[in-house]
Amino acid sequence: MPEPCRPDSKPHRFFLNMGPQHPSTHGVLRVILEMDGEYVVDPQPVLGYGHRMHEKMAECRPWPQFLPNTGRMDYAAALPYNHGYVALIERLAGIEVPLRAEYIRVITSELNRIASHLLWFGALLLDLGAFTPILYSFDDREQILDILEDITGSRLTYCYFRVGGVSKDIDDKFVERTRAFIKRLRGRFPMYEKLVNGNIIFIKRVEDIGIIDADMCRRYGATGPVIRGAGVPYDIRKSEPYSVYPEFDFEIPVGSKGDSMDRFLVRFQEMEQSLRIIEQALDKLPEGPFMAKVPKKLKLPAGDANFSVEAARGELAYYLISDGSDVPYRLKIRVPSYSNLSLLPEMCRGMLLSDLVAAMGSLDLVIPEIDR
Amino acid sequence: MHQTDKFIRALEELAASYAEVDYQQRGYHVEVMLTGDQLRRFAKLMYELEYYLVFVSAVHAAPALEGRYQFAHFDVRSRILARVPVGDDGSLPTISDIFQGANWHERETRDFFGIVYRDHPYLEPLILPETSVDLKPLLKDEQQLKNLEEICWPPAAEEEGETSADQEKS
Repeated sequence: MPEPCRPDSKPHRFFLNMGPQHPSTHGVLRVILEMDGEYVVDPQPVLGYGHRMHEKMAECRPWPQFLPNTGRMDYAAALPYNHGYVALIERLAGIEVPLRAEYIRVITSELNRIASHLLWFGALLLDLGAFTPILYSFDDREQILDILEDITGSRLTYCYFRVGGVSKDIDDKFVERTRAFIKRLRGRFPMYEKLVNGNIIFIKRVEDIGIIDADMCRRYGATGPVIRGAGVPYDIRKSEPYSVYPEFDFEIPVGSKGDSMDRFLVRFQEMEQSLRIIEQALDKLPEGPFMAKVPKKLKLPAGDANFSVEAARGELAYYLISDGSDVPYRLKIRVPSYSNLSLLPEMCRGMLLSDLVAAMGSLDLVIPEIDR
Repeated sequence: MHQTDKFIRALEELAASYAEVDYQQRGYHVEVMLTGDQLRRFAKLMYELEYYLVFVSAVHAAPALEGRYQFAHFDVRSRILARVPVGDDGSLPTISDIFQGANWHERETRDFFGIVYRDHPYLEPLILPETSVDLKPLLKDEQQLKNLEEICWPPAAEEEGETSADQEKS
């Protein structure tokens, strides 16, 4: 950080309050910034404005009634949250899921991941002052929301997966529309690249900004595109495969430096990989039931179990301790953005305020999931 | 399972008791039972073996509160769950100087359970407001409180005797 250039040469520090209603915090996050001129000396996030105590709610009701809560943490990519919870209960209770249901879960989860990345893509550029890209990305995202609305019944906070399967089977119309969407989005990527990826103003805003290396990720527990941007190909879908992910051929995009540009490119390439997974899953989609026979009242055996899935922002882990009844004794929900945000003070010390907005945008934060 | 072997050798040096568990059933590979004194040495060991911190949390079950720590590895398939009973004074040593990510997790656990983390740099409420310091919403009341032994998996009889003895102890 350069020396302050004032006649008395004393440091002139002041505090700046960013949020909880600041547009670039995407939700109610407040960051108290200690500033020296335009340089950030110490950014401290303040959490809890949207706290709902999901973990307590889980302890107060039979496990099936917690399902709607899972879609209300990360509202931008709710289906992976559905997936983690139902898979955890299936692991504890030893329930076999029909193959068709697993395929439907993967297809819809990946569609949701793309929708989430498109939202982030538009919002990051909006933070950086580019208004146009969000109009294009929301146009594409709208297609996914329409497709998912038809089968899940909702557009945002999905509660579609059930223990033992999914609530509704997909039909030919869904397959047809999804295929059309894959074709459409593939056609749009070159446009995005022309519009954004090669734009010199954009490159100058994100390159070498907010460098996070693998050791820092380890110390903070940062996962998802943050660790992949740092060059480590860590993806729960590959490293601890769940559902039918092992049956698909897809790559894990990685960065090299771990700056905001790398994280941007990783998410961008992930959309293409998700399209590949959906395409293969549609080709191989088996016939059969979409729901296993699960007793209405099901007691979970005493003991603990963990289930980790790759949510759109990183590792989501549900850790449940059961006492043998149908009400969980304790449910810990480990959300990716929580750990990803906790490295903000170390990452942004000494940065320009405008760079902090770019670096924070590249973390892809969803505040309701942090506050839970 | 090379990494897990390396890890288990290091654990034996630490004199901590552990049990390898069935991943398909429980979602992690090794369960480690620690005492409060071993916790910091254990965390350093995890950092040296290049594990990352998944979460820090706790569970309230009789006879005492128990801290739970989960670690996983970026390069190899290895997930570790550590269990640490909280001492009579309701405190545990902090690991936030080894894994900086634990800073927030420990503040959150203190909000929810009232566990005090010794030598924590800034143990102020994080998720709950400052006015609800005494709320401790995840503590169970007398009627709800279950014995820890009841909610543990029945120890596998075929495995080493040491393991089941340790589970009874905790």
